Amino acid sequence: MPDPLLEVDGLTIEYLTDTADVRAVEDVSFSVGAGEFVGVVGESGCGKSTMLFGVAQLLSPPGEVMAGRVIFRGQDMVRLSAGELRHMRWRDYSVVMQSAMNALNPMKSIAAQFKDALQAHEKLSSTEIHERSASVLEMVGIDPAHLKSFPHQLSGGMRQRAMIAMALLFTPQLVMMDEPTSALDVVAQRSLMSKIRELQATLGFAVIFVTHDMHVVSRYCDRVLVMYAGQVVESAATENIFERPLHPYSRGLMDAFPTVTGPRRELVGIPGSPPDLAEPMSGCRFQPRCPVAMPVCAEVEPELYAVDSSEVRCLLYTDVNGLGETG
Amino acid sequence: MADRSQSTRDDGTAEAGPAGPAKHEPLLRAEGLTRHFRVGGMFSKEVLHAVDDLELTINEREIVALVGESGSGKSTVARLLARIYTPTAGEIYYRGRPVRELRSRRDVLWYRGEVAMVFQDPFSAFNPVHRMSHGIIRNLALHRRELGREERWREAERVCESVGLSKRMLTRYAHEMSGGERQRIGFAQALALQPKLILADEPVSMLDVSIRAGILNLMVGLRDREDVSLLYITHDLASARYVADRILVMYAGQIVEAGPTETVLSDPQHPYTRLLLSAVADPRDADTDFSADTGEPPRVINPGEGCRFRWRCPYAIDTCETVTPRLRPLGPVQVACHVAGHLGEEEIAAPAVTEIRSRGA
Amino acid sequence: MALPVPGSELAGAEAPVGGGTPAPRASSRLLRAIRGNRKATVGAAILLLIIFVAVFPGLLAPDSPSAAVYAQDASPSSAHLLGTTQLGQDVLSQLIWSTRQTLFVTLLVSVIATFMSMIIGVTAAYVGGLTDRVITVIIDVFLILPVLPLLILLAAYLPPGVTSLTIVLCITSWAFQARQLRSQGLSLRNRDFLVSARVRGERGLYIILREIVPTMTSLLVASFLSLAVYVVGFAASLQFLGLGNSGQLMWGTMLYNANQGAALESGNVWWALAPGAAVALLGASFALLNYAFDEIGNPALRRIRRRRRARPTA
Repeated sequence: MPDPLLEVDGLTIEYLTDTADVRAVEDVSFSVGAGEFVGVVGESGCGKSTMLFGVAQLLSPPGEVMAGRVIFRGQDMVRLSAGELRHMRWRDYSVVMQSAMNALNPMKSIAAQFKDALQAHEKLSSTEIHERSASVLEMVGIDPAHLKSFPHQLSGGMRQRAMIAMALLFTPQLVMMDEPTSALDVVAQRSLMSKIRELQATLGFAVIFVTHDMHVVSRYCDRVLVMYAGQVVESAATENIFERPLHPYSRGLMDAFPTVTGPRRELVGIPGSPPDLAEPMSGCRFQPRCPVAMPVCAEVEPELYAVDSSEVRCLLYTDVNGLGETG
Repeated sequence: MADRSQSTRDDGTAEAGPAGPAKHEPLLRAEGLTRHFRVGGMFSKEVLHAVDDLELTINEREIVALVGESGSGKSTVARLLARIYTPTAGEIYYRGRPVRELRSRRDVLWYRGEVAMVFQDPFSAFNPVHRMSHGIIRNLALHRRELGREERWREAERVCESVGLSKRMLTRYAHEMSGGERQRIGFAQALALQPKLILADEPVSMLDVSIRAGILNLMVGLRDREDVSLLYITHDLASARYVADRILVMYAGQIVEAGPTETVLSDPQHPYTRLLLSAVADPRDADTDFSADTGEPPRVINPGEGCRFRWRCPYAIDTCETVTPRLRPLGPVQVACHVAGHLGEEEIAAPAVTEIRSRGA
Repeated sequence: MALPVPGSELAGAEAPVGGGTPAPRASSRLLRAIRGNRKATVGAAILLLIIFVAVFPGLLAPDSPSAAVYAQDASPSSAHLLGTTQLGQDVLSQLIWSTRQTLFVTLLVSVIATFMSMIIGVTAAYVGGLTDRVITVIIDVFLILPVLPLLILLAAYLPPGVTSLTIVLCITSWAFQARQLRSQGLSLRNRDFLVSARVRGERGLYIILREIVPTMTSLLVASFLSLAVYVVGFAASLQFLGLGNSGQLMWGTMLYNANQGAALESGNVWWALAPGAAVALLGASFALLNYAFDEIGNPALRRIRRRRRARPTA
């Protein structure tokens, strides 16, 4: 098997604040192969956005990477200097943020912002700049005439596409996206996702896609990581997560979605709230809300256990209590 | 769905059932409801048609979902019904009385005690300075004056528990509670009024998925146990399907399709409804290919005559350009569309479509 | 370099919150902010000192302020730390005894003016429409009023003294903060909890006083402090110009008297400098305290604790 494009190993991130130290991400490990579409799902406070920022080396105080490695193209990004990182950024990997309105400069035209991004990383003539800008806009389905437009003149969907175009200026090998479709309506969302998938097939980049939306994940991702309370609780191929979720949290999530088609069944949801990460925790973090928790779950913290091609952080899949595997 | 003593006719009005006399007057009815906003500077002639000539009906003990995307005007409808905005035209009838006539303080308070509202953002819906009991107690003080201080507190506790929260929550501040808990308090506040209608403006959109189920179930429970109707405003078809008896689909300030939930979702008649469904369901199931649609927001500023969906509609014909379609019955549902009922037939000529589109783009 | 991925975006990436921990009470938060911010601590200390002097002048002043028995225009000596006035009164005693009245007027005017600007500003914001436009015009008129000519005019008609001074100060200083409070009111206007209050049928006045104003306490205190800085200086200036009652014991009137007595040219220089310095000190204490409120109001200004840790190892 070829080397993975990105390998995250034991990443731990903390927020150091006046009142408490919060371990937002704990010992997260996963890898992304070339051209893979990996989804990271979880609810608020699970640490998925923090983890993404950590991988992209975009954390600023009070957030700090406390441990772990992020190996991309053979180099550990955590240890690179700012200058080396800048060289890699945008060329080899790029980031698309959640809200384009926050990331795009409202005072500059799209063309000017693309030009800034291009010039920050490479010496290009103005013709080359214009050509590149026009071609990425076309790639995402925007008429290049909009190069002259300002962000507020574009609709939400178009702005988000412009963000993605900007991320593709140097055709990087890895694009990291933090909920790029959450602010969009359903139709725009679907349209944008198909476009991303299409571009991925043509240009061959890998994607790490952070979201809370399971629908999007089910349709477009190759693999899924489910995060809860700062940890990865399940990692599996998409079909497996949806057809046979292993972790009780994943199962709870699947059951919490109403469907538009198919039989109507009662929604259950997961009562309670995620734990306060500022407080010390013992045992499994999901145990207080888990419908199938065993007494040992409150004491022993589970590791990630391999089950077929997936990984689960749940004691149900170990020999604890001599129970062996349960369904 | 719970068994109901009344059945609903095509246009949504109730008819007599085995359990009770016919209620010919629906709980709330809107006719020709319109709300425009002037946009641009002081001298601009641009008018935003947030809601245009809308009709809707809500009966007792039913949950009606008002489904639309951003720019559809659904939140404006809620605010019109809650009398936060006054209509530019049209009328709202509550229990047969035009709401416009309710002007005295007594009448206004009466209406406010009958129609309650729950807001979308559980973070900003509560004054950070006050405890969670504040809104409930104020509601009781204003609308249930027969209760003394002690009784008010008891009632606040009762209503808090009826939404599934411990009464200790009443003494907490908003920032000490989770989003789901706050939203429940929002419903508790509404219930304190003993209303007949609760306008729920996207109550679960800002909540985590695992929490939504609880609130959705709560809403269904309220209809069954507390004998209250709900107008559930949302952009999410799936949750609308879960809770609602009837669905109203809104686009660009107008209702384009209305009918019983399962009927509308299993056999959508309006092209926009089909588009919405195709965006959430398996695309292979769709009858129409909407893959080119990028979800651009509708034109609601000075839209003029004609169907507002025509720019994106694969079935648009010449009439769609000049005549605004009105909501008309079509079998078990109502649709506002000139070509509804004939979608997919060969007579819809392709040239007309491309012509309209190119004029519009 | 305008990369579309600003690091500042992440300042907003909140530390995840759990089930919800109770926030510290406002008063303890206030104390912590004052203690934590050095400038504010200094300001608080100075203000407390001045308050002490105002409350217990008898304890500190060596003499009665009006006893005109000493050598005139004497320079500072061990007997008279700040020297004497033209009439032979001890300057230090006068300074100390003037503190109470000065502080009282400052605080009174600040409270009244803050209250006025709050009511007017928030009402304008809440009611909106034509009322808002009219009030805004009124605020603007008061802001650009040429104060000095107005004062001279008023001084011709009002009897000199503390009451007139208070009235004049209130009239000229309320508009200062009204705009700011109106802006805050406008930003709150469509917050859901206010809409919720309207929907449940609350009356306008109730909403203003019980729903809007309580959320603005930080801003109101900051307004009050800013106003106090202005009032201290302005009151003294007015009195210096002779618009006060020279018989009343205030730092401003001391300045007036010192000027009349040509203290700077031929007499005791400290007779003029001391009250001036006192005015500056009081103003500074309010200004310094205001730093603490900046922090409470805007959490982004709070110092982020950075701990130096070794770079992570594998």
